[in-house]
This record gives sequence, structure tokens and C-alpha cells, in this order.
Amino acid sequence: MDRAGRRLGLYVGQKATDAAAIAPELVTAEAEPEADARALSALVDWCVRFSPAVAADGPDGLFMDISGVAHLWGGEAELLADFQSRLSANGLAFRIAIADTPGAAWALAHYGQDGAIARPGQQIGLLAPLPPAALRLEPETAAQIDRLGLKVLAQLFDIPRAPLARRFGIETLTRLDQALGRSKEALIFHRAPTPWFARLAFAEPISAPEDMARVAFDVGAALCARLEKEGQGARRFELCFHRVDGQVAPLQVGLALAARDPTRIAKLFAPKIETIDPGFGVEVVTLEAGEVEALSGRQARLDSLLEAGSAEGLAPLIDRLTNRLGEDRVWKARPVESHVPEQSVVPGAALGPSVAGWDPERPRPFRLFRRPEPLEAVTALMPDDPPRQFRWRGQLHRVRRAEGPERIGQEWWRGAIEDVRTDHIRDYYRVEDEAGARFWLFRAGTYTPGTQAKWWLHGLFA
Amino acid sequence: MSGFRDERLAALKAKIATLEAGGRADSESLPFGDSHIDSCFLDGGLPLGCWHEFGGEGMEAETAACPAAFAALVAAPLARRGEAVWILRRDDLFVPGLVGLGFPAERLIQVCARDEDEALAVAEDALATPGVAAVFAEVETVSLTAGRRLQLACEKRGATGFVIRRRPYGGKAKAAGGSAAASRWRVTPAASEPGPGEFGLGPPRWAVELERCRGGRTGSWLFEAADAFTYEASDGTHPLRLVAPLGGQQLAPSQPLRRTA
Repeated sequence: MDRAGRRLGLYVGQKATDAAAIAPELVTAEAEPEADARALSALVDWCVRFSPAVAADGPDGLFMDISGVAHLWGGEAELLADFQSRLSANGLAFRIAIADTPGAAWALAHYGQDGAIARPGQQIGLLAPLPPAALRLEPETAAQIDRLGLKVLAQLFDIPRAPLARRFGIETLTRLDQALGRSKEALIFHRAPTPWFARLAFAEPISAPEDMARVAFDVGAALCARLEKEGQGARRFELCFHRVDGQVAPLQVGLALAARDPTRIAKLFAPKIETIDPGFGVEVVTLEAGEVEALSGRQARLDSLLEAGSAEGLAPLIDRLTNRLGEDRVWKARPVESHVPEQSVVPGAALGPSVAGWDPERPRPFRLFRRPEPLEAVTALMPDDPPRQFRWRGQLHRVRRAEGPERIGQEWWRGAIEDVRTDHIRDYYRVEDEAGARFWLFRAGTYTPGTQAKWWLHGLFA
Repeated sequence: MSGFRDERLAALKAKIATLEAGGRADSESLPFGDSHIDSCFLDGGLPLGCWHEFGGEGMEAETAACPAAFAALVAAPLARRGEAVWILRRDDLFVPGLVGLGFPAERLIQVCARDEDEALAVAEDALATPGVAAVFAEVETVSLTAGRRLQLACEKRGATGFVIRRRPYGGKAKAAGGSAAASRWRVTPAASEPGPGEFGLGPPRWAVELERCRGGRTGSWLFEAADAFTYEASDGTHPLRLVAPLGGQQLAPSQPLRRTA
């Protein structure tokens, strides 16, 4: 709740109609818990600039462990001021408190004074005037405590432990102990991913291609050793040559299967390094691994070369091809459940599970044109008949045998109902000309008297 | 005297056979399952571990549907053993159609090359990769040097190459130079025959001419795709069925011709 909202008399948990009655100009929006969680996660990542130990808390809070880092700002107050100014600069509404325990800090931030700093061991005094809800209790428990006339925590501190636990549950006691530092509390700190990154700097700039190839291997070996130690492999590597004049020349390779073999990676980079202009020399080379995933260790086998059909031999081939030609030029066809012929195949990963889902009983051409080609001089006896002859690419074909039609319509269930049209159909015919060549042609649309039907050639049968 | 001559002849033939096999002792072959055609080859079947060339005429020189389909079916038993790589210049191969003819496309990797040299380089690379059983390459021509390189790549792991000659649309016909292929085939479409009482088109048929065959004889036949557009496929037999031999072929005198039309 920001200042403007508070001034109008709005509060968290208010009914939307009540709020609208107070402030008729209020614009309401749907709650988006996922987006909120994403934003909080981003904020947690950002907070790492203050302390390496940051934990997200609930939907709208975070804990930061500043033990041993406050002196870098010159004290807790300075750290707090910096944090506040940076958060304000980002337009965030916030409440912050610093205390010995997460529980006390939470209580002060939510119910105490904003920006409160509890001196070590002094939080009990600051906590005493706060309501029992400040202990992060279940709403029912907090309501019950409140009903019994215990309005502030100071009253709770005076109750002997055993009756307190009996009356309000062990949870209340635990929360109380956690706030006062009598019991430990574990926070799940968000761990920023360690970057998979290696760097080599040279005393003298290098420029010879063979030197660049060698340092590419060296930096790869350094990164791969780390990957191997942690049982990881990567599918993407970016090698950057940092030139003396500040220019950076990046090179990328992608792998079909995660790997950490420096020789193989260096080999993939080798042809690309030749294209790099070293200028006045390269002083730093860096390598970053992306798409890192767990990769179990594998022993090199003596007879691994003889293992026919193994993915070992195929993966490097796919890597070489995708890196040389581009990723969209190496693929394995994958079936899609669609009647529309051009949509029944999609390119999939070249290395992957084998699937085949096409109906072999439905005759489909051997070559399918990306765009159907128009046919000229088509003569058909009846509107519903296959053509007797047609001209394609300047050549006249007389049809000897034909079969069809196979009517393929629009997949109306994929689009909006308003866009559905009944005349978006194709009537496919399989025809054979006098020479034996087999074609797949279709007539577009339904028959309308008085208009010439449009014929297209969509593919060739073998 | 004649015994000595026969002995010399047999020894020479054996020597030539070893040379033809490219120094590999374990040269394999893939029989078609019909003695009419298998007897044309030295080892009783299409030799493996080398490359074969398929081409067409007229419209097929540009579309290359029939030569490619025939090559795919020749190689179908190989594609069940290992991976297959199909190198294209134009991405118009329609896999459902390939599956319909009876080719196991589950392990088919397609590669779209930007130019002729790249297509041949990819073919060479794929042929030398363990686990790859068959490599199809749609290229315009294969020069003598490129052919020799393909042959060396084939011999590395025993993979078999299938080069499909295909001219770019609107391109001028180039003279086919000398070739290092183990065999050269010309495939033209032939009129199909639907079964008795059936409508429409029958299974696809091709008139196939074996124009060149290293260490063997040439011939021409009419072939039919036996498993086209049916679920009842892959019972182990070859997906190509020889319908009838066509005229003008040299037959071994020991094997009288039996017409099966």
C-alpha cells in the first residue's frame, strides 16, 4: 500500500467494492501471483549486491543476512540508507528493519517503525509494543490471542512457557523464541548460479592464428576441468577474444549433447578462429558455457570406435554440421497430427528419440513443394472429375490414371470460430501421366458455377 | 594348355576383385533377392562400402523424385541397421511420402546444404562417421576428384553412399564426367498397374537401367515398390520387387531368362 492509497483510506484486505466506494476513480487489476513471484525473485537476485545471503519470504518479502557486510558501507545505518535510496529510485514501496533475528526483523518491518534498527540484544524492547500478529502466526492463532485480550507482545513475554504452549500451540512458542533469538531459524537462501566462465589473460598480446587456437584449447581445458569436477556438461560455448583496442570478437558453438571434452570443443572452434581479426593483438580470452546440465562421467572405451549405431559417433557429426551450416539446416522430421500436408511435418532435433507417426496408407508425395505451383490449361470433364490434361512448367501432361479426390479442409478447431470458412478446402487427386510420372494436384475451393476452378500442383510422387 | 589359361584367368580375376574392393577384405553386399539382378554384381548383391549414382531424365533431372525414391528403397534394409543422412540442396523431401514407400524414416537425419561443394563435404563427413549406414546426397554432378574422396570416406567405416543427380531448377545440363561410382543407375517412371479389380494407381513402378557396374554386368528392369502405402510392410523382404526384365540386357549364359511378367 503506497502513500497515496493510505491517504485515501484504503488498506490491504479491503473489499474491492468498499475501496471503490471510498475512491471512485480507483482502477482495479487482477492479482497475478506468478508475476509477483517472478518480480520478487528478480529483486532477490538484485539484492545480492548487498549481501550474498538473500532469501525470499512469502509473496512480498525477503530476508537479507547482513552479518559481516555492513562495515563495507560504514555501518548498518549507512547500508540501510543506501538500500532505501536504491529501492526508492526503482519506484518500489517498502518497509525495512534490521534486527538480530529474522523473526524480529520481520516483526519490526511489518508492525514496527519503518527503517528500525535493533541494536544487538535490544530487540525485546522494540518488540514489546507490537501486536501478537507480528510473530508470523497463523491468522486463527493471532485472532485467538487477540480475543483473549493480549494486545501486545509484552503481555505474551510474561506468560510462563508451558501454559503458553498449551494454550496457543507449540508454533506460537517457536515463533516467539525465534524472534527473541532463543531458537534457531533456517532460511533458504537464494543461490545465484555460479557462472560457468573461464578467463585467460596474457602478458603479451597474441595474434598468430595458431596461438589463438592454442589459447582457445587452454581456456576450454580450464572450464572443462571445472565442469568435470562438478559432474556437468554444457551444450553451448561462447569464446570471446578481447582485443587490445577494446573490441570483443565472440564465437559460438552449440552441441547436440552436453559435453566437456576440451579437444572436441577446440576442434569446433578451430575453423571459426580463422575468421577472427586479431587487430593489434588479443590480450584476454574468455569462455562461457551455457545450457549446463548434469553429465555423468563416462570411461573412454578402447572399442568405442567399433560401436556402430552409438550416439558417440553421431553427436560430433551433428555438432560439426550444425556449427558449419547453422542450426536450422540439420534436422529430423517429426510428425504433427494434422491433416494439412504441409503442417504434418516439423523439423525436430537431429539427435533425439525416433518417432514416426504418419499413416503409411494415406498416399503422400515424395517431394512436396513449399508453395503449390499453379497449373495451366487444365481440362476436366466434370467439375468433380480429375483433370484429363494439364500444363506444368510449360509441359503438357496427359493424364492416364487418376485417383481421388481426397478432400482436405481447414482445421477449424485450431482457430477462432469467426474465421472458419467452408470454402477453404482442397480436393487432392493423385494422377499419372502417359509417361508414368505421378503428380499430386488439387483443386482449390468448392465448385461455383460459371467460374473456372483453380488447379495447383502440390507435390510429386515417385 | 587351356587349364593353365583358366588358372591364370582365375588368378587375374581374383586380383581384380581385391582391387575393386578397395583393399577391404570384408566387403559386404546387399542382395535384392532376385537372381536376375543379383547375378549382375560381383558379390551377388549391391556392393556396400562404396557409393552409387542415381539419375533421371527430362523432368526427373530437375525433380529427381524417381531416382531418389528408388535409391531410398535400395537402401531401406541398410537404414534399418544404422542412421541415415539425407543431404539436400532444396528442402522438398516429404518424409511422410518416404515412409509411405516403406523407408524407415525414424533414423533419417536431413541436412540442407547451401551449395554443391558443401553438400559433397557433408556427405564425405557423414560417410566417415561410425553409426551411419547410408548417406544420400542430392547433387548436380560428382567430379572425379570428389568421387574419389567419397570413395575413401566410404571405405573408412563401410558406409554406403547414394548420390542422386539433380539439376537445380532452370539450370543448364552439365556433362556428366567420368565417375568413380561403383554403379550408375538411370531411373525413369513407368506406368503403374493397379491390381485386378482395383481403381486408381497401382504401386509405383520404375524402369531402371543399370548403366555401369564395376566388376559386373549392366542390365535394365522394371521395378515396383512392394510395400508402398500399406501397413503390411517390413516383413524382412526387400521393399523393391522386380516385375520384369526389360529388353537389351546381357544375361549370363548359364542363367536362362524367365519372364515373370
